[in-house]
Amino acid sequence: MFDIVQKKWVFFGISIVLCLISIVSLIFRGFNLDTDFSGGIALTYEVKGEDFSTEDMSAIVSEALGAGKSASSVQKSGDDVIIKVGYDKDITDEERTEFSNTVRDSITTALEEKFGKAEYDSAAAAEPEEDEAEAAAAIASSEPDASAEPDASAEPATAAAAATQAPTAGGNLVSGVRLSSMDDISPSSGRELARSALWMSLLACAAILLYVTFRFEFTSGCVAVLALAHDVLILLGIYSILQISVNINFIAAVLTVLGYTIVIMDRIRENTRNSRKESYGEIANNSIWQTMTRSINTTITTLLTIGMVFIIGVASIKAFALPIIIGIVIGFFSSVFITGPLWATWRDSAVTAKRAAAGNGKSKSKKK
Amino acid sequence: MSRSLVKFAAIILVIAALLYVGVYGLDFTDKYRIPGITDSDGITQGLDLKGGTVIVFRAATTDPSEEDMDNVVNLLRRRLDFQGYTEASVTMQGSNKVRVEIPDVQDSDTAVETLGATAQLEFKDANGNTIMTGSEVTNASSEYGQTEQGISRSSYYISMEFTPEGQQKFSEATKTAAAAASSNMNYITIEMDGNVLTAPRVHEQIDSDSCIITGEFTADEASALAANIKSGQLPFSLAVDEVKVVSATLGEEALSKAITAGIIGLILVLLFMLLIYRLQGLMADFALMFYIAVVLILLANFHINITLPGIAGIILAIGMAVDANVVIFERVKEELKLGKTVRSAVDAGFNRALSAVIDSNVTTIISAIILWWLGTGTIKGFGITLLMGIVVSMISAIFVTRFLLKQMIGMNVKNTWLYGLNKSDLSSESVKGGKA
Repeated sequence: MFDIVQKKWVFFGISIVLCLISIVSLIFRGFNLDTDFSGGIALTYEVKGEDFSTEDMSAIVSEALGAGKSASSVQKSGDDVIIKVGYDKDITDEERTEFSNTVRDSITTALEEKFGKAEYDSAAAAEPEEDEAEAAAAIASSEPDASAEPDASAEPATAAAAATQAPTAGGNLVSGVRLSSMDDISPSSGRELARSALWMSLLACAAILLYVTFRFEFTSGCVAVLALAHDVLILLGIYSILQISVNINFIAAVLTVLGYTIVIMDRIRENTRNSRKESYGEIANNSIWQTMTRSINTTITTLLTIGMVFIIGVASIKAFALPIIIGIVIGFFSSVFITGPLWATWRDSAVTAKRAAAGNGKSKSKKK
Repeated sequence: MSRSLVKFAAIILVIAALLYVGVYGLDFTDKYRIPGITDSDGITQGLDLKGGTVIVFRAATTDPSEEDMDNVVNLLRRRLDFQGYTEASVTMQGSNKVRVEIPDVQDSDTAVETLGATAQLEFKDANGNTIMTGSEVTNASSEYGQTEQGISRSSYYISMEFTPEGQQKFSEATKTAAAAASSNMNYITIEMDGNVLTAPRVHEQIDSDSCIITGEFTADEASALAANIKSGQLPFSLAVDEVKVVSATLGEEALSKAITAGIIGLILVLLFMLLIYRLQGLMADFALMFYIAVVLILLANFHINITLPGIAGIILAIGMAVDANVVIFERVKEELKLGKTVRSAVDAGFNRALSAVIDSNVTTIISAIILWWLGTGTIKGFGITLLMGIVVSMISAIFVTRFLLKQMIGMNVKNTWLYGLNKSDLSSESVKGGKA
């Protein structure tokens, strides 16, 4: 059978090259942080009746924003277009609210001019107006001495104002544009989320290192976490090279696919226990091949389900599924070609080091 | 043999029954019902599916005290109730933020304005002059009892207590107001953010550290009014940190597409398992249906908040669910190749693969718990469904599949081909057993 451990430098080489490319890209191209990390406004419009290109959209948006400003990204997905506009870093809270309102209104107006106002096939779905009226009525009725009381009609008016001009009415869009979702995140909030994402990732790595060390041994723990860091680095690299925006969902997806290398570790542990004469390299290689079918099949079943989500789902869930898919593929590569050989190399070098330290080379490089 | 058949049929029926309950629910008696996901309140949809507004407010002050933040949460909750948004939720996020989720509302501007206003509770006289503010009221509560001597009828009323300063201001104001009785101007209005909460008439000067407001209040009105008076005003102003608005139609589309994706993915996985692992695969498919049934029942009964990533988590868990079976079945195949009987190969396969199954799931469980615990919004939803999916799938893959396979063996179904072994595997046995 093909000896993966013997050819380890081929795979280590591939791995190292991929990591280097990733690092270089991360340094020079950096991330395309999504608005939930960088702060900004993301507007999703549904456009019906007329086709458009992202270039057209970018042009319209730049013109609408004026003052040399432009959207940080414009993505098209079917009839939907997602327009993102970033904030200046040192914007104050008041400026920001005003800015976000202006951005939303001016882009909406510009798009309505271009594609027409939203028209629906059925009467718009019931708006929460009734609730408002009830609430207002409740306020009014709580006033005792209803006869000559001060002007009570003033506040039902303010409450009723809440129901006017909802930017997104119900019903199916036939033609024109409609704002279907809006995300507005302050830069400080974004930084906080980024911090918490980093904490979550580090905590997960530490917890997995602890668990693997506890269940296996320290070398396996280190190898598992190294493989994990390797997977994350390459995944980040791919996102950096393709400039796909990184958001909190990305982090969640990455954390989900971390545990894929464990089965090989389990088999290595078992084979180490039972082996008498094999070297670490042989143990690792056997373990890899014994778990190969499982690695392939599990990758396939997981890809079948999450792949469907990616193919069929709406834009936001596609963005969630993509890093999981890439993560599973990289995880397959590293769990098959990297963890086993790395473990064997680590073990062998530890034995060599011990022998060198002891000075007298006893030929006992097997079980400890 | 017949006994195994009965057991086998029984568990299949149980799985079918659970699936039915998971989808359609079950009436136990007239009174008690186990909801299924097709019930109108079966799925608790997150705002990204249902449509609505999420606003995250940040205290515009450094290190707000816990007590102040609690007050803010309570106040916002009351304002929402007050506006009729009883389904809205208000939760703390971190130490200085409050997350407000209002389903079905798309006008975020108004919501931000009405909620974020620094509530100002003011007492005004008939001419609109401010007498005192909410900070001079120490307590307000709704009570029930006789309010006037000679009238035996009991009613709800509101009792207020003042600070000494407040007592003095209130005393003066009531004196003036009572004097204006002839011109029908003898009332004091209590306003919150300029909205009139109540405008009680004043019949005489009140010089006391407490007073009551009477009227035709219902119990709810009285307690709402008391709560509003008591909560007074925000201890600091709130800055808007995040606003998210999702239209109901976008959520609907996302949900239906995700469900389609889930069903197709499920069918593909069922077929895959059947083709690759044959009889064992079929048992794994039954176990997978058990997993689906349990997840549906849990979703419908524990009102787990389903977000879009949450659905992705459930679907992803379908793929991961069979991983445990893949690991086990591969092991069973190996044992068969070593020439073991089907019975001992299945036993050995399950026993030996158990540690691998647990270890590989625990790492994902660790991640899921961290996401659930530290994540916010939709990520929290993903963490909880992923966690639920992995735990249930592990249980069903280990116990349900094993139980079913045992019954198969009990029925003397022992053809090794059915357990995934090909003829070529058997002939290569000696090669595999030797040096690798």
